[in-house]
Amino acid sequence: MIEINLSEDEKDVLQELMNVAYGNATAIVADMLDAFASLSIPNIKIMNIRELLNTFHSLKGDSYFFSTQAFVGEFSGECAFFIDNESANNLAIHLELDGEEDLNDAILELTNILTSTLTTRLAKEMNTQVQFALPSISKIPLNEMGSNNAFKQYSQVIVIDTQLNFHDQKINGEIFILTKDGSIKWLKNQLNDILKTII
Amino acid sequence: MAEKSTQRYPQNNNLNEKLIASIDNGIIILNDELKILYFNKWLELHTSIKEGDIIGETIDSVFTNINARTLQRKVKTALRMGTPTFYTASVTKYLIPIKIDQINISNFKHMRQDVSVIPFDLKQQYVALIISDQTNMTNIHNQLTFNIKKINELNLELLKERKTIDQRVILTKIDTRHHITDISLAYLELLDMKKGDMLKSNYFDTQRLRISQELKEKIFDYMQRKEVLKYEEISLSSTGKEICLLNTLVPEYDKSANHIGFIIFGENITSAKLVQEHQTKLLENSRTAAMGEMISMIAHQWRQPLSVINTVVATLKIKKALNILNDEIIDESYIKIENTITYLSETIDDFRNFFKHNKELKTFTIAHLLQKSTQLLKAEIEVLNIDYEEDIDINIEITSYQNELIQTIINILKNSIDAFKEINTENQKISIKAYEEIAHIIIEIEDNAGGIPQEILSKVFEPYFSTKSKNGTGLGLYVCKTIIQEHLKGRITMKSKNDHTLTLIELPKILQNSVAV
Ligand SMILES: Nc1ncnc2c1ncn2[C@@H]1O[C@H](COP(=O)(O)OP(=O)(O)OP(=O)(O)O)[C@@H](O)[C@H]1O
Ligand SMILES: [Mg+2]
Repeated sequence: MIEINLSEDEKDVLQELMNVAYGNATAIVADMLDAFASLSIPNIKIMNIRELLNTFHSLKGDSYFFSTQAFVGEFSGECAFFIDNESANNLAIHLELDGEEDLNDAILELTNILTSTLTTRLAKEMNTQVQFALPSISKIPLNEMGSNNAFKQYSQVIVIDTQLNFHDQKINGEIFILTKDGSIKWLKNQLNDILKTII
Repeated sequence: MAEKSTQRYPQNNNLNEKLIASIDNGIIILNDELKILYFNKWLELHTSIKEGDIIGETIDSVFTNINARTLQRKVKTALRMGTPTFYTASVTKYLIPIKIDQINISNFKHMRQDVSVIPFDLKQQYVALIISDQTNMTNIHNQLTFNIKKINELNLELLKERKTIDQRVILTKIDTRHHITDISLAYLELLDMKKGDMLKSNYFDTQRLRISQELKEKIFDYMQRKEVLKYEEISLSSTGKEICLLNTLVPEYDKSANHIGFIIFGENITSAKLVQEHQTKLLENSRTAAMGEMISMIAHQWRQPLSVINTVVATLKIKKALNILNDEIIDESYIKIENTITYLSETIDDFRNFFKHNKELKTFTIAHLLQKSTQLLKAEIEVLNIDYEEDIDINIEITSYQNELIQTIINILKNSIDAFKEINTENQKISIKAYEEIAHIIIEIEDNAGGIPQEILSKVFEPYFSTKSKNGTGLGLYVCKTIIQEHLKGRITMKSKNDHTLTLIELPKILQNSVAV
């Protein structure tokens, strides 16, 4: 598997696009939560799958909610949202949810909002469209993450570290955009097109 | 000829209507206040609710199970984002309650549904709920989850079992080149070695394994033929201890039935082997001791006949000197000497027979047995003025190993004689009784040579226990017990009361399939 790396310039452009997309997401999340919410400026990293699995290893805490949503189009892959137990509880309190079912549903919704807005926006900036599949959720113990074969088909991961703040409650989450080689190549091309128009 | 249209089919409400009616999904159109604007055929059929009856109603008033707040949130979000929001069957189960009547999916009462909330008309703020039947998928998913759980449980059990096996069972796995590929904890503990030191080393490593070239070749032969073989090995532990194993060699195959090596299960017989060796040695010792004893008995035995010969010869000499020797006297003396010599040589034969390993079962009378046993002791018994008495039915027969039984009885009688030598009593007496009891023969040997104190009585059958400082090996009764119990499948006990000692021997009337040492 050939690793395709993004140059510094390309990363910069991607970060810019993400910032724009993120603004959009914030507003919608605020609507959903019926509260003033702010999303911290995302911290973007690009890593390969091995590094990703190492990240899972270094994460502390035992219980995480993990939801994924596939998207198809010229730019295709899977978005994953990772939220710890405490943050999930905060979300439940805020939305006055009772029961695991409602909480799972809310997490899925949050996942859907974050991944859809981000990916749709990203796609739009790059003159393409994506379509989303139904998200799915699982509560996976961290130590089993590495053996999750689902990851192995992807080559590169765009990791977006984010923090949702509302009132005095914090919701920490991490968004991963998992892509295959083809899509990374496509992304690289699009980013370069944008770079050309800037210069 | 009319031109065929290659243009996109124009927007046609009829077509949409038709398509939507025949689609295998539920479709509901709602406005942002959750009022129903459209309810398709599929839903009409599945819910038995007519579209006309519910148009304009809010969906949560028609289906009271719906949480309006959550749906409102999803509708708002979808309209706001311009992309769909969702309900998933795995989390929410269903939105529209539709009863399932099919038997094969009777696990659920209601159809499981995935629901997409699609921003259908942003201007008018309409959403379309697309409902798809996920019952089968959910069912399969549940079954899968159940099976995975089961597999995990079984796996855990297996792991546990593996652990116990590892700890308890002596096991070595080797590949076809005899390299050790796995070795159990139990075996490593015995060898006092580490797994790392053993893995990949050759099973036939001569540093550890002590087996003869002959056995090695036999093992190779069986390996070649992939047959099961039982054999004994001696392994040397890292501390130099000898470990004796009774091994079973079994060929091992992988999943596709390829021969990949052998598994060797071991049974630790070190202690059993030690006991066995020890016993053999003891028996040997006792035989030598018995031989010494016998020689002294023969000396006793011969004294009298030899003196007979001496007397005869001396008489002959005197008569010759006096010149009164005639043919008659010579013939008489000759016969006497000949008889005596025959007697002497018979004693020697008895003696020899006794030390011959005679492994054959024989049927003989108890009378004959006692006669043989006392023959060599008679002289000493007479000298010591001991009254010897037998009270037996001369017809009682037994099938057993004769020589071993003789050795036992001699040992017991010898103990009595020894005891009489230690004390001074009148009426010294040894009496033997023998009788039948269904399938058993009982022999009772009793003396009045002072008895045995209770604290000693419990130890008399122990090897090397003796009160006879120099003269006793202390093996006599131990050997008796071994012979009676192990070889003759009987029982021997001793009782003592007042001045009397009673030895009780219980033997099977007919001994079968047993091999004497
Ligand atoms: N009939 C008996 N009367 C009194 N003590 C006896 C009698 N038989 C055995 N014992 C006691 O039991 C002990 C053990 O007897 P055992 O025949 O095993 O050994 P031992 O006679 O001392 O030695 P060995 O048989 O080698 O000459 C004897 O030393 C003796 O103290
Ligand atoms: Mg003795």
